[in-house]
Amino acid sequence: MNARKYGKIAYDGLITNNATFKLVLGTCATLGMSTSAVNSFGMGLSVTVVLLLSNVIISLLRKVIPNTVRIPAFIVIIATMVTLLRMVLEKYIPDLYDSMGVFLPLIVVNCVILGRAEAFASKNPVLDSAIDGVATGLGLTFALTVIGIIREFLGSGSFFGMQVMDFRIGFFTNAAGAFFVYGICIALFVLITNQIDKARRAKHARMLRVPSHDKPLPSPETAPTPDGEVK
Amino acid sequence: MTVKEFFKSNAFKSLAVLICIVLVAGLLLAIFNDLLYISDEERLNRTLSSIYGEEVTAEPVELAEDEKEYSYGTVNAVYHIVEDGNYLFQTTGTGGFRDGNGKVTLWTVIACTGTREGGDLVLTGIEKVVYDSNEGQSYIANLNDAFYNFFAEHDELIAGGGYFEAVSGGTGDLNNVATGASQSSNAACNAVNVALACFRTVFIGGDA
Repeated sequence: MNARKYGKIAYDGLITNNATFKLVLGTCATLGMSTSAVNSFGMGLSVTVVLLLSNVIISLLRKVIPNTVRIPAFIVIIATMVTLLRMVLEKYIPDLYDSMGVFLPLIVVNCVILGRAEAFASKNPVLDSAIDGVATGLGLTFALTVIGIIREFLGSGSFFGMQVMDFRIGFFTNAAGAFFVYGICIALFVLITNQIDKARRAKHARMLRVPSHDKPLPSPETAPTPDGEVK
Repeated sequence: MTVKEFFKSNAFKSLAVLICIVLVAGLLLAIFNDLLYISDEERLNRTLSSIYGEEVTAEPVELAEDEKEYSYGTVNAVYHIVEDGNYLFQTTGTGGFRDGNGKVTLWTVIACTGTREGGDLVLTGIEKVVYDSNEGQSYIANLNDAFYNFFAEHDELIAGGGYFEAVSGGTGDLNNVATGASQSSNAACNAVNVALACFRTVFIGGDA
């Protein structure tokens, strides 16, 4: 029962409520940081760590924090986690810290994090909130990395920093290119998830239509007429 | 409302919870700030190893205040590298993103022959440019390796007295613009130009 519940929470965070492709949240960081796959991946993981920590703390304190001051309390907790992450990155991964620039402190106001705190962590137990944080973060990481790979390949001709092509299309490193790739990715993601949903619904409907008895249904030729005669 | 009622009220509870959260957060940050503190020496060592890939000896060079200020940037620090005789500049270029107020700070290794004391110092080019920090440059990530390597690929023009520029669509030999970050490129070029100007005027002597 629990495994099923956790699976659903994880599936929601990754696919059904994918923060980037379905809910279109955190767009500023998505567009600004996705010029390269490495930066996108780093940004995604950073958000995942903050989401996990803030969700766990907010869930732990959900019964202590009065409803009227919950938003400022959440912001202080998220800002603390982001500042801690900044310190750790600057100390141990300075290259990533440098490349993330202004988008690292801006994680504080990333609406994905505040959104999950408000919609999930403040109403659910710790483990559920932790799973939700990780799943939502990984969904965001996946989306950012996909956009980053496409933009880096088309805009710089490289893949995770390795030069693979000589051509470069400058448009894809610009904001306009970011919007273009983002839109195409959203369309493809929605198309694919809709197809999967449709297939799942069709399978479910077929299962419901299967008769519960072993006796085959009479064919129209052998079916009795209203007066009881068999054709 | 009596004092007793106030202490039992929701307003007091809200205030107390918020203050507690802020205090705990502040304490946590203070502890981690101490644990993860990066000293200036550690920063310099990091920069030196990212530039040279090995430990080198860097001697600080003192400059007068008026020798540090330029119209398009500032010299923050200068080091003389004992092993190869080159000079390492930490400079901040202005003219970046946000109405030209943004700044980019870079490390620039100026390659030279001769010695300052001997008066026979000759600028031969730029050995390497490494990013340090920025102020308000949202698209600093667009300045990729190719952008920074460009500075070290034009030794003849630099030795001839040239300076870099960042003009979108420009065709100059020393024009260096990263796509999507022309203003940050301008600040970065200015940072390198400050290092060049300082070396030419202060170390060699003459007009920048």
